[in-house]
Amino acid sequence: MLGIMFQKVLSKKWMFLCLLLGSVLLVATLVSFPMYQSAVFDRLLRDEFHTDYAESGVWPAALKLEAESQFMSHDPILKAEEIMAGVSDTLGVETKENIQFYYSEQPVRLNSGRTDARTHNMSVAFLSDLTEHVTMLSGEMYSESGISPEGSLEVIISQNMMVERNLLTGDVLSLMAVRNGLNSYVTVTIKGIFKPNENDPYWDIGTDELSNAMLMPETTFRNVFMGKAEGNYNVFNCIYAYQFEYEKLEASQASHILEALKTLEEEGCQGETVRRLMETFQTEKELISATLFVLEMPVLALLMAFLIMVSRQMYELEKNEISVIKSRGSSGSQIFRLYLYQSVFLTASGVLFGFPLGILFVQGLGSASNFLEFGLHRNLEIKYSLTVWMYLAAAAVITVFIMTFPAIQHSRVSIVNLKQNRAVRKRSWWERFFLDFVCLAVGIYGYYNYSHNQTALEENVLTGRAIDPLLYVSSALFIVGLGLLFLRLQPLIVKLIYILGQRFWHPASHASFIESQRNGRKQQFIMLFLILTVSLGIFYATTARTILQNAQNNIAYLDGVDVIVKENWENNAAAVINYKSHGMDLPLNYTEPDPLKYYSLGVKSYTKVFYGGGAAEEDGSRNSAYAQVEQGGEQIPVLLMGIHTREFGENTWIDRELLEEHYYAYLNALADNQEGLLVSRNFQTQQGCELGDKVKYVYESTVTAVVGGEKCSLPNSYAMEGIIVGFVDYWPGYEPVSISFDYSGEVYRQENYLVVANTAVFQESFGSVREPYELWMTLDENADAGAVADWINENHVSVRKYVNREADLRRAVEEPLLQGTNGVLTMSFLVMILLCAVGYLIYWIMSIRSRELAFGTLRAFGMHKGELFHMLILEQIFSGVLSIFAGIGIGKLTSWMFVPMLQIAYAASDQVLPLRLYAHREDMLRLYGAVALVMAVCLIVLILLVFKLNVTKALKLGEE
Amino acid sequence: MGEESMIRAQRVNRIFPVAGGRFQALTDISLDIPAGKLTILRGRSGSGKTTLLNILGVLDKASSGSVFINGQDVGKLSEHQRENLRRKQMGFVFQSVSLLPAMNVFQNVEFTMRMAGIRSERAERVEECLHMVGLGGRLKHMPFELSGGEQQRVAIARAMAHRPRIIFADEPTAELDSAMGAEVARLFQEMCRKEGITIVMTTHDVGLMGAGDMVIELDSGRLKPA
Repeated sequence: MLGIMFQKVLSKKWMFLCLLLGSVLLVATLVSFPMYQSAVFDRLLRDEFHTDYAESGVWPAALKLEAESQFMSHDPILKAEEIMAGVSDTLGVETKENIQFYYSEQPVRLNSGRTDARTHNMSVAFLSDLTEHVTMLSGEMYSESGISPEGSLEVIISQNMMVERNLLTGDVLSLMAVRNGLNSYVTVTIKGIFKPNENDPYWDIGTDELSNAMLMPETTFRNVFMGKAEGNYNVFNCIYAYQFEYEKLEASQASHILEALKTLEEEGCQGETVRRLMETFQTEKELISATLFVLEMPVLALLMAFLIMVSRQMYELEKNEISVIKSRGSSGSQIFRLYLYQSVFLTASGVLFGFPLGILFVQGLGSASNFLEFGLHRNLEIKYSLTVWMYLAAAAVITVFIMTFPAIQHSRVSIVNLKQNRAVRKRSWWERFFLDFVCLAVGIYGYYNYSHNQTALEENVLTGRAIDPLLYVSSALFIVGLGLLFLRLQPLIVKLIYILGQRFWHPASHASFIESQRNGRKQQFIMLFLILTVSLGIFYATTARTILQNAQNNIAYLDGVDVIVKENWENNAAAVINYKSHGMDLPLNYTEPDPLKYYSLGVKSYTKVFYGGGAAEEDGSRNSAYAQVEQGGEQIPVLLMGIHTREFGENTWIDRELLEEHYYAYLNALADNQEGLLVSRNFQTQQGCELGDKVKYVYESTVTAVVGGEKCSLPNSYAMEGIIVGFVDYWPGYEPVSISFDYSGEVYRQENYLVVANTAVFQESFGSVREPYELWMTLDENADAGAVADWINENHVSVRKYVNREADLRRAVEEPLLQGTNGVLTMSFLVMILLCAVGYLIYWIMSIRSRELAFGTLRAFGMHKGELFHMLILEQIFSGVLSIFAGIGIGKLTSWMFVPMLQIAYAASDQVLPLRLYAHREDMLRLYGAVALVMAVCLIVLILLVFKLNVTKALKLGEE
Repeated sequence: MGEESMIRAQRVNRIFPVAGGRFQALTDISLDIPAGKLTILRGRSGSGKTTLLNILGVLDKASSGSVFINGQDVGKLSEHQRENLRRKQMGFVFQSVSLLPAMNVFQNVEFTMRMAGIRSERAERVEECLHMVGLGGRLKHMPFELSGGEQQRVAIARAMAHRPRIIFADEPTAELDSAMGAEVARLFQEMCRKEGITIVMTTHDVGLMGAGDMVIELDSGRLKPA
């Protein structure tokens, strides 16, 4: 049996290779998706933590538990210790730090008599593993025993505590509530002053108590407070901070961690950040996997269709042999087994080659930076999870089934060798069931449904709910419906052309017209394949480009310029406040950092921008602005920009379509009138103002300073006046509406009003005070945008605002949903092109082979080779070329209708610019090029076959 | 060269390369086929009848020797000219069913006329030819809707539709019963008489020999002296 199978395989090696290709691709595609997703999800999860860490500066992968010892009982402490010891196992994560901070507030008195002898409250405490996380500034670390030769407890204190408590190394303090056996007080000696190591997440324990703590070794603390101590001094508090490594988290752990977290929270642990990040991750993960799954469907469907097509074809070719085998006494089950072996063999080979190819696909998916562009160089960590094996098994089962199926079903239709029977003229099943109209109706329904509910769609996306997969499905159905409709119409089109020129057609054309009309239906499968490849190709290209391009345009617009830096300017606010408290006046003065230094960092030009109205800084300082139209408008908060028109124009750009007039026309209007103001459209609507109206506006800046241990703020206000010289819908960096969520989670839109004025007015108003400005910088063409950031970090420059457009744009490309979409669309497209090429080629070779007798007859009648060729080309035009054009039309129409809606699904909540459709010429050229290549190869094969055709041999063929 | 000779072969040899050597299918065939007559090529299977017919019908080339059609040395014609010769002046009936499967009966018969460049009165001629073969009422039928004999008769109608000077028929009766075979032979005789067509037909059916105006017998690739 196996021998027969291999013989069979060898005799049909081309078909066999096609089947192999199909199964290899099916396995590779099916397997690559879960591998890719798990790699992406791991990255997504880690990025989630990483971003949070970068933004908050607090280690996000942390749990906290607080406990308090009870009088004479350490039970709560022991329980907490037990919980915390097991956290790593409970969560299944790798511990970074398991910090214990035990402190006991005690009345203490300084013994040295250097200052007053009053009793103060301070904490005596220990911090586990402290020694690795501090730098000693003076004195030394406590000794291992923790007890000085004089019998005093050794402690170290922070620099802050030293300053605030006025303590020095060597000071000895008595714990007024802790007596030792000799009826005297237990004393502590300050051995040293430490500084917490910088950027060490260890210090993210999150308690103020640290700044008041004298730290001793753990053993000492335990001996004194947890031993058989007497009295009430053994009441103390514990803070446990557990930190784990997020860089080693895997996506598959998320649900377990959330579950475990729930248990831990019931026991009193706090892990809001972990919970929040994990939940965000889960939502995003679901969104991404739902989206990618729907995107993957078409190519998987096509792969299966391809396998069905080829195996049916092969079965058709083997029908005769099968009947011979049967007539020689083979049973049906033997034949079934023959096919089963064959498909198992093919599937095994498919798995063998497909699996490594799948890994290659994963790299392809992960490196797609745009449609058909593989610009991202990163190594995705490939894991062989259970899901991957399940997909592999599914791929194998599907392949075996598809390839054995024809033998079970005794195949009905194949692409070429449809018997010349009555069925030829019969309508296809889908035509009889009007499947084309059904698909179209559903597609159009989906289109109308969504286009009328765009706001709902937007809000769904903003609130993180997954996009309705129906949206994708409607676009796919729309394409299939139109494709089928074309197939229904195609014979009529051919007939119409035929009738139009009936009297003039050359015999060869005549023959091909008749062939196309009569046997056109046999080609429907391959034509549909072509149509779907081309139209999905166009649709995919447009979708991918549009989504990414809009995202990038939006970022480019919102960032406004290559790099923005606002340094923290040194000021004399503390002195001013001090003077003020003594009833004296001191002018506020800032030290302006030298902007020229940026020239050496790849900056081509820069402009100074005063910017008011942003969010308050962490330290409480802020720049805010208000404006109102002089005639009766109410004062509203605005975003206020003071610009130098010429420089600003040189450094920024805004698309012509976003403004009514040219960008420079607005800048010129501003430049012509020192008092001029440009205001945003919504300001005009809100205030009901017109050109030439007077506007009063205020620039307020608040600086804070720590004076005498207290945070004081110093507000400054500058009132100005101007005349409206223009209304703008958009402006570099300006977000007209910002979207956020209110407490109930509903979408909340806030209008932002913009007022742009001349810098000169500001400076005049500021007078002697040099208020800090932002530097908007344009980089040299080849400059590295990171250079500025590197310099800032290296020189420890304190920065209020930093924008790096290049990095932001790159982040958009790497955003998992976008990147995955690009990857899946690109890989799907490549697979489809390959399938289409191979499918079309098989179709043509088989078709010509099956018609050799007819060609021989035609040649015998004296038809020239050129005419035969002419005939075949015409047939190709009727099937292939018409389909390609139909595909182009369908692809463009579908893109035009559906891409804007799909785009919404991807748009970020800060999408400001109107969405536009983007199709890249190169993509289209690549697509057409690929299709043209397929056609050219077909043509070459045709030429070879026609020239090889031997008339007498072909006719002999028929004699059998 | 006799005036009534339509086809003349002079020392025609045909050698096929085969595995491990050459196979001489025809040896030194010289013959004259008269115009307007039904000539029968007979011989056992493998005697070279079809090979000779293919060479005379300009479908194949002789390895050596010459063939003259109507006085024209076809060996000197280009491929293109040979094809034109076939499409304008010759008709073919093959042993195998060679109707074009996509075309109906009418279109099949009409097609040779289109090939020959005939533009006028095609429909009438098609009907006339189909009438001659007794299939006048089946213009719209597809080949697969006809029996083998009917298909062969359509092929005969097709071979004559464009009024060729010569019809080559390779075992046209092989798949027909004897009555039908006799009917085809009668049809050929009538065509010779009525339309002055020269017909060359191969057969191994001894019963049909009487129908031929001339019978040429082949044996192992050589002419058998009469």
